[in-house]
Amino acid sequence: MGSATEYNRRDIFKRAAALTVMAAAGGPLVAACAASGGSGSGGSAPTTGSADNPFGVKSSDPLDVVIFDGGYGADYAKPIEDIYKRSYAGSTISQLATQDISGKLQPRFNAGNPPDVIDDSGAQQMKIDVLQKAGQLTDLTVLLDAPYRDDPSKKIRDVLLPGTIDQGTIAGKMYSLNYVYTVYGLWYSNKLFTEKGWTPPKTWDDFVSLSATIKQAGIAPFCHQGKYPYYANFMIMGMIAKQGGPDLVARIDALDPAAWDDPAVLAGISAFYEIMQKDYLLPGTNGMTHTESQTAWCQGKAAFIPCGSWLENEMIKITPADFDMAFLPFPVLAGAKMPQNAVQAGAGEPFVVPTKARNQAGGLEFLRVMLTKEASGKFASTANSLTVLKDGVDPSVPLKPGTKSSAAAVTAAGAATFNYTYRDLQTAYDLALQNATNELVNSRMTPQQWVAAGKAATSSKV
Amino acid sequence: MTTNADLTTEVPAPRDHPAPARKPAREQRFADGGGVLNVFSHGFLALWAVMIIGPLVWIVLGSFKTDAQIGGSAWAWPAHWGFSAFSYAWHQGIAHYFANTLIVLVGSVTLTMLLGSMAAYVLARYAFPGNRIIYFFFVAGAMFPVYLALVPLFFMVKNLGQISPLLGLNSYLGLILVYVAYSLPFTVFFMYSFFRSLPTAVHEAAMIDGCSHTRAFFQVMVPMAKSGLISVGIFNVLGQWNQYLLPVTLMQQQHGGDPDHSVLTQGLINLAQQSGYASNFPALFAGMTIAMLPVLVVYLSFQRQVQAGLTSATLK
Amino acid sequence: MRHRKYPFIVGFLIIPIVLYLVLVIWPYLQTFGYSLTDWSGASQTMHFVGLRNYTQLFGDSVFRTALLHNLLLLVLLPIATILLSLFFAFMLNVGGRGGTGGVQGVRGAGFYKVIFFFPQVLSVAILSVLFQAVYRTDQGGLLNGVLVKLGLENANHPWQWLADPNLALWCVMGVLVWSGVGFYLVLFSAAMQSIPKDIYEAALLDGAKRTQTFFTITLPLLWETVQTAWVYLAIAAMDAFALVSTMTQGAYYGGGPNYHSEVMSTYLMRNFITFGKAGYACAMGVVIFFITLILSVVSLRVTRRERIEY
Repeated sequence: MGSATEYNRRDIFKRAAALTVMAAAGGPLVAACAASGGSGSGGSAPTTGSADNPFGVKSSDPLDVVIFDGGYGADYAKPIEDIYKRSYAGSTISQLATQDISGKLQPRFNAGNPPDVIDDSGAQQMKIDVLQKAGQLTDLTVLLDAPYRDDPSKKIRDVLLPGTIDQGTIAGKMYSLNYVYTVYGLWYSNKLFTEKGWTPPKTWDDFVSLSATIKQAGIAPFCHQGKYPYYANFMIMGMIAKQGGPDLVARIDALDPAAWDDPAVLAGISAFYEIMQKDYLLPGTNGMTHTESQTAWCQGKAAFIPCGSWLENEMIKITPADFDMAFLPFPVLAGAKMPQNAVQAGAGEPFVVPTKARNQAGGLEFLRVMLTKEASGKFASTANSLTVLKDGVDPSVPLKPGTKSSAAAVTAAGAATFNYTYRDLQTAYDLALQNATNELVNSRMTPQQWVAAGKAATSSKV
Repeated sequence: MTTNADLTTEVPAPRDHPAPARKPAREQRFADGGGVLNVFSHGFLALWAVMIIGPLVWIVLGSFKTDAQIGGSAWAWPAHWGFSAFSYAWHQGIAHYFANTLIVLVGSVTLTMLLGSMAAYVLARYAFPGNRIIYFFFVAGAMFPVYLALVPLFFMVKNLGQISPLLGLNSYLGLILVYVAYSLPFTVFFMYSFFRSLPTAVHEAAMIDGCSHTRAFFQVMVPMAKSGLISVGIFNVLGQWNQYLLPVTLMQQQHGGDPDHSVLTQGLINLAQQSGYASNFPALFAGMTIAMLPVLVVYLSFQRQVQAGLTSATLK
Repeated sequence: MRHRKYPFIVGFLIIPIVLYLVLVIWPYLQTFGYSLTDWSGASQTMHFVGLRNYTQLFGDSVFRTALLHNLLLLVLLPIATILLSLFFAFMLNVGGRGGTGGVQGVRGAGFYKVIFFFPQVLSVAILSVLFQAVYRTDQGGLLNGVLVKLGLENANHPWQWLADPNLALWCVMGVLVWSGVGFYLVLFSAAMQSIPKDIYEAALLDGAKRTQTFFTITLPLLWETVQTAWVYLAIAAMDAFALVSTMTQGAYYGGGPNYHSEVMSTYLMRNFITFGKAGYACAMGVVIFFITLILSVVSLRVTRRERIEY
């Protein structure tokens, strides 16, 4: 049924899914699930097939694809469909590109007539956890165990970037394939910083003292997409994660109320609150949309903005040619448990195969085709973003400065990456945290009250 | 009403003719205490007019700006007066959505008025057991928020599609019937009071002349009710023109190969979403302009009828 | 009568009634049914849970907040819109300086009537985009830009409009008033023109001032039209979905900051679509229905007056 003009987007990048939640809450449960092996009762696909055609795709079965037509467009799906048709000569594919996923698909799920594969993203995304609870999603374990098309000696699960499987896992089984690899951090114009002789800060103290300098230069040190407070939350939660370590991330994801008593939480939020206390915000930023604030930032009205790595592609028409966009991991406080260069990164843009899909085998095969170098490279060149396929982009593909900079940060971080899953999995909790942050950035809430609100939010489950 | 029809039907040019044969004595008397009020009220009227024209002009201007200008400040002034945004928006199918909307509205408003006035007429002019109950049954429908019924309605229309694809989802006729059904409460309510207010003598004379009930309705009562039909029709056009939830539920392509029957509100919102994701705001503004201007032109051409229709509606 | 009445009555009523039953009544009845289940909205599997959704609803503080906001809108939106459009209608029809007949609209009345109606033909999608620019929170906003230029606010701390918890709901109401006034202006104008001029002229000759004639003549004679307008505005106030969900802060159908502009329709949709609590959302819908029903009956009773014949 869709909403009205929710063109806010960006929930776009709401990756679905994942559920390490249960992991902390009930370890034994997860262990039990995991032990029972990938193929549960409902929802696993037919496994009759050869090595070339592991799911037993029949060319005669039409394939029904729905693509979210958002920040990445829908053009990238064409090459994937071409490869599919090449492999299964004579097959027909109907592709529907839309922004209104739930408007088009909620009724079809209810009617037991869903498409075969869906890019379930965007503001009108159908929540992955809701679909999974309703038994509508196919367990993708069969996909993970299927051979990798470019090198059949490997399985799909071996060629995915770390974290991809977790990001799509609910109660021990993977239900969604998050295709796009996203990095979160602060962004700035390298050109501006070089001109002014500013050094990108690594620690929070550096950040604060540089901000004072920036403010003196007549530029607002910080702006954010205030209408959608989850952008500010990328930074707040990122700083908390670095301060408290991976353990704290897991406990926060698991809705553990005690996690909010960890001193790292108060330390992180108190640091962030200095931005308000010292008046480092771009005037009006607390109510601005992503377009308005990001444009202001591109026009040099503010120095830093928190965002995910889709930023460069999104602002490509607005960014000045010599802007030289650059990425910075969130700064660390004294005594942080994670290294300075740790980055928040993970898989996004969930693809699912419904249990009641007519051509389930085709849907699974479509995902397998997506995970080829050819498809992944096409995606990188049309959408300026990386996919979760390991080494999925040929080094010859030229990257834009921002993408290059964030890719370098990921390399530098090595194993020190982290990501939260609550944003996809615990919608009500996420909403409560967004509301609290909105109060905080408007100085209507103190850091202590923010922590209390976060703790209280652990009881808000859907 | 006829004595001052000139007031309602003035074309949008400031009325400025000097009043002839003005009697100074009365003028003075009439103006007592009016001086301050006049300044204030004139100022307020002018301000309100600016508050309406300004934003409309702003939307049109948006079509000529760049993404950076639109994102940067609402006060940016266009630097280049090109029409590329219009051609983009046009190719995104705004014209097509427009045509879809027209097809649906022509069918739905006609049917709404026909069926609504038939029901209202019978309820207003004929006594029979159950009359009041049926009347209230219709009127109560105006109190339901539409979004309550969406999902069951979806299945109902889907099932109608089993009878004939012409009635089902993503079909013009299906949406037309739904619009008609959801406009009935309003239409019956107003046409009911209208028919009650018509004199009975003509109808009785027609019946004595041997007219059948049906002929009496179509040949005698409908012409008499013309002004009421026009005004309720205008209400319905405006209401159905702005529908969003119903078409977004029922007028959706189910598969890639389906024809796109989206109506204008859907098309605009798609454009808005698209521009939010991929920064193409000039196209959004151009699309809004394309959607807005024809309606304004139609309204300007027909505003006499609209206002006269509303006038007669209240002259029961 | 010579002609048989009943076949005719049935013939005229059958199609509208069937259409209405099938497409309106039956879906609504099903909603009542769904409200007794734990339906997720994502599949057709559901279980009967009795009145659990309803008991839960009464303890839901967000729903109470939303209800309160709707009631606020329900009272204030009609008052603001009706007062403003009555004022305009009065100015445009009888508020002018005496001309030939002594009673007429102000100069340019025809022009104003045409212009003021414009917002009515704008799609709600356009309204939403437009007013986000109007209420933009930095000095690039249409409102803030003017206020900063006029020196009425500090450019470093511009007004936050939709992002300000104390203003958000009023901002939404402002849009509803802006877009609605023209329609009711034309409606009231029409009604005013049906009032014979002699009544005004008699009153004026008796020494009444123009403002007095408004309260002693215009308003009483317009009462029935005002009542109609009230009902329509009240229905609009109970909905407000499209504007709140697109313009205000807050993820999934707006309603922010921190529920300060939440209305029942947005909360219902969030539960229905986002949270997968469709059964709960249906229960909300049923409650909304009864509230609307009660309010309509009460307001029609309270405002009922004898019609003045003239």
